[in-house]
Amino acid sequence: MIRFLIKGLLRDRSRSLFPVLMVSAGAFLTVFLYSFMKGTMDDLVNSNAKFDTGHVKIMTRAYEEMADQMPNDLALLGVNSLLERLRSSEKNMVWTPRTRFGGLLDIPDERGETRAQGPVMGLGVDLLSPESQEKDILNLKSALVLGRLPQKRNEILISEEFAEKLGVEIGEVATLISSTMNGAMAIYNFKVSGTVRFGITAMDRGAIIADIKDVQSALDMEDGASEIVGYSENMLYDDDTMLALTQRFNDKFLRDDDDFSPLMLSLSQHSGLGEYLDLVDVFGGIIVLIFVVVMSIVLWNSGLINGLRRYGEIGVRLAMGEPKGSLYRWMIYESIIIGFIGSSLGTVLGLAISYYLQYTGIDFAAMMQKSTMLISNVMRARVTGWSYVIGFVPGLVASVVGTMFAGIGIYRRQTSQLFKELEV
Amino acid sequence: MRRLFVFVLLFTMTLVYAQEPSGKDILERVDDNYTAENRRATSTMVIKGRRATRTLQAESWIQGVDKAFTEYLSPPREKGVKMLKLGDELWIYSPATDRTIKIAGHMLKRSVMGSDLSYEDYMEDPRLSNIYNAELTGDENIDGRDCHILELSAKKEGIAYYRRKMWVDKERYLPLKEELFAKSGKLLKRFVIKEVFKVGKRWYPKRMVFKDVLKKGEGTEFIIDSIEFNVKIPDYIFSKASLRR
Amino acid sequence: MLALKLAYRNIKGAGLRTWLNVAVLSLAYVLIIWHQGIFTGMLKHGSQAVIEDEIAGGQYWHKNYDPFDPLSYDESHGPIPAELTGLIEDKKATPILIRQAAIYPEGRVQTVLLKGIEPGQTILGIPSAGLEKEEDALPVLIGRRMARSTSLDIGDYLTIRWRDVKGTFDAVEGKIVEIMNTQVPTMDKRQLWVPLKELQKMVTLKDEATIIVVGQNVQGQRDISDWKFKDQRFLLTDINQVVRSKRISAGILYAILLFLAMLAIFDTQVLSIFKRRKEIGTLIALGMTRLQVIALFTLEGAMHGILAIGIGAIYGIPWIIFYSKTGMKIPQATEEYGFALAGRLYPSYSVGLVLGTVFIVMVTVTIVSFLPTRKISKMKPTEALKGKIS
Repeated sequence: MIRFLIKGLLRDRSRSLFPVLMVSAGAFLTVFLYSFMKGTMDDLVNSNAKFDTGHVKIMTRAYEEMADQMPNDLALLGVNSLLERLRSSEKNMVWTPRTRFGGLLDIPDERGETRAQGPVMGLGVDLLSPESQEKDILNLKSALVLGRLPQKRNEILISEEFAEKLGVEIGEVATLISSTMNGAMAIYNFKVSGTVRFGITAMDRGAIIADIKDVQSALDMEDGASEIVGYSENMLYDDDTMLALTQRFNDKFLRDDDDFSPLMLSLSQHSGLGEYLDLVDVFGGIIVLIFVVVMSIVLWNSGLINGLRRYGEIGVRLAMGEPKGSLYRWMIYESIIIGFIGSSLGTVLGLAISYYLQYTGIDFAAMMQKSTMLISNVMRARVTGWSYVIGFVPGLVASVVGTMFAGIGIYRRQTSQLFKELEV
Repeated sequence: MRRLFVFVLLFTMTLVYAQEPSGKDILERVDDNYTAENRRATSTMVIKGRRATRTLQAESWIQGVDKAFTEYLSPPREKGVKMLKLGDELWIYSPATDRTIKIAGHMLKRSVMGSDLSYEDYMEDPRLSNIYNAELTGDENIDGRDCHILELSAKKEGIAYYRRKMWVDKERYLPLKEELFAKSGKLLKRFVIKEVFKVGKRWYPKRMVFKDVLKKGEGTEFIIDSIEFNVKIPDYIFSKASLRR
Repeated sequence: MLALKLAYRNIKGAGLRTWLNVAVLSLAYVLIIWHQGIFTGMLKHGSQAVIEDEIAGGQYWHKNYDPFDPLSYDESHGPIPAELTGLIEDKKATPILIRQAAIYPEGRVQTVLLKGIEPGQTILGIPSAGLEKEEDALPVLIGRRMARSTSLDIGDYLTIRWRDVKGTFDAVEGKIVEIMNTQVPTMDKRQLWVPLKELQKMVTLKDEATIIVVGQNVQGQRDISDWKFKDQRFLLTDINQVVRSKRISAGILYAILLFLAMLAIFDTQVLSIFKRRKEIGTLIALGMTRLQVIALFTLEGAMHGILAIGIGAIYGIPWIIFYSKTGMKIPQATEEYGFALAGRLYPSYSVGLVLGTVFIVMVTVTIVSFLPTRKISKMKPTEALKGKIS
């Protein structure tokens, strides 16, 4: 019987194509909308995560207490072995060390004396290891303005505005004057390989990004770092997993009697992000609900329309002796098939586009001003388990329900009336 | 009768003057003891931090009050770093980067090598009698040595430490203890000589501890390993060019 | 007029389906307006906090002052210009002197900024009045973030060390007299607020200031010799940028929402035309031009939009009013980037927003209603009368 139905549907394109299209359009839109919305709400969380908190962050307890002062004398030591342990025991995370520092950037003239000088904030990250994902995490490629990303030791990126202010060009030497971990004066030469846009005014005024090994050399922080940040492999934040990870880590490593033992904090444990995540969830839930309702109405409508179109056909069949009940059931079965096909098509299409957006995204640089590290102008979506279901189920259900309601008309109208609406 | 009276008066006064030197005199003698035409010294600085202790060694050439050249000898990371003071200007040279950086303004407030001493402290005019008025206010015994207590107050504006208190060894004219105060009278830094030795005719500090009183920690220790006075120091040493040699 | 009445009657006749469509459309209206209101509210709110607590009507900066260059602070001071003393006396502007200093909470040196402000000032929303107290030490006001990072509490003493303008060290005991709760982190982190006259005395800079903040209602300020005027817009650049980028992604969401709604309208129109082909044939036979019939159907479609406005207004207006009064709670997550969005966010709606949304939706509805009617122009009236689709 199903084959018959399908044959019938396939043959009469006008009957089936339109409803299928409607259902798939509705399903597609809902899936896409949901995933896109998830993507935009991820935005703030992502900016914080990329630049600051990671999904989890490890610092010494002493450092964490005054983290805004970047007290590198309280930095994490024994970073290499800690990283090794983390990478082997928590394999589905990306772990990377970072160091923050401040100081002066001094540009030399031919005699090695000061030509220009300005205060600078610095971030030392793993730029040169082949496995490092920092370039993507920090969006360096698209935020690059001139030159290229550092490829060799002692190369750095400097903010575009700062480079202009100091009058330093690609390839020139810039000397960092800062404090070593012990408080001594650190003087270290870097070469500017490229300029970049940070997207935060404070950093655009004067900031550099260097490879962490160079920063370790410069600041006499052998095997040390201000912090280790961890990201889940798929770069999507899941609070429960991260909190569990944090608990595991702190149970193992954190010691009450040692100020310099490592402390891990999840993103949500950092100032207020936890609340934001809760808010996002609530918002997300509400919006999804609204859209499911809306789409259901639309599809119901379409199911109705679909049924109504066929009053003529129904009239004939009733006249031919088909019992009303059986006819009704047929219509339902048809609508199930249509709903199924339509919802599947729509969901598949919706997922495809959402996945594309999740991994590649659409670059809106043309519409917005230039891309920066912080405000990524790439629109992204996020596919979750719900995405699979959220278009499909309502699509199917609404389509069937619509037909059901339309079919009730069969019971009400006289056969002759239905017949009359038949077109020859 | 009157002549006897005047004579006794004069005699007493002379006695008084002979026994009680003025604050100014004492300070000047301290300065004389410390400074010389020039000197050359090797010294060790021990910096105690929260997590580790570092030891640095340096060699210095000092001419008068205006010129000083210091080269760090160890540890390996610091070796070859040179500092040059000319008048009120200070430069630091780092061989690793071949950079000569002038330390001015804000940077002068930074600590030297992480110690409790700032570059500014390092730069100050070693002849305190040039910048301070001294008043003798008493005496005290410190570790078995009788000391004059001098209260110093700045002669002009712009002197970093407005007031100082010094305990000067009466015999050797070394300031065994020195306290540096803010304008409000709050104690900021303390300097104590723990050990002395004799070089030629003068007594010189061997081991000193310098401490920023407001900070937690044990301060910074200086040890003079060797010192020579009035040696011949070639002029070229006190030039920026010599930093890069 | 006739057309309108006719159109209305027709769609009313369609009963439930019409009202469903109208409901969907009205939801679209309300949601878009509500959501946009949140963004505008975000902008206003973030700006509001900064305006109230930090920038008021704008600031005069001493020519050497660069908030991003801490080395510039000690050079950034000058006598308060005569042109502004009038404003200051009228309490329409307030001078602030900024100097670097060091404090030693728990024996660790920390560089901070000393900011001297008139305790009685009313330009900035910080509780500077607390600095009026007579204390045995220098009264100090700090923000709660500062209090947390230094573990200081009300009544605690702290040693403050600074240099006067000539470079002489000075130190004093300060006493925390108040801890303020400000939404603007740049008024809080790494700084101590002290009475202006005291600070001027401490650094021997009598009657001098680093910046002068003018009240919100003060207009027409211009640069004055050594002092540059920075208006609100300049001082709010960061927030504007972030909100702007958020609006664009919101725009995409709206587009999708509208699309859904339009789907329904399109659908309805197709059905309507299909069902009423006899009627169309009749109308044309009776003398209506095709164009008029098309117009009629298009109008019917557009009516949905109009009805939706009505329905939307009925439930939308109370909801929106409720929201703009109670607001929503926003966490402190965005503080890292220097601007304040925490606390309660009150959505902000404007006539422009509402009219703009209505306009866009109506235009879209009308176009979508029109599209299926093109079929009518191809209909043969004779066939249509018979009930055939040609």
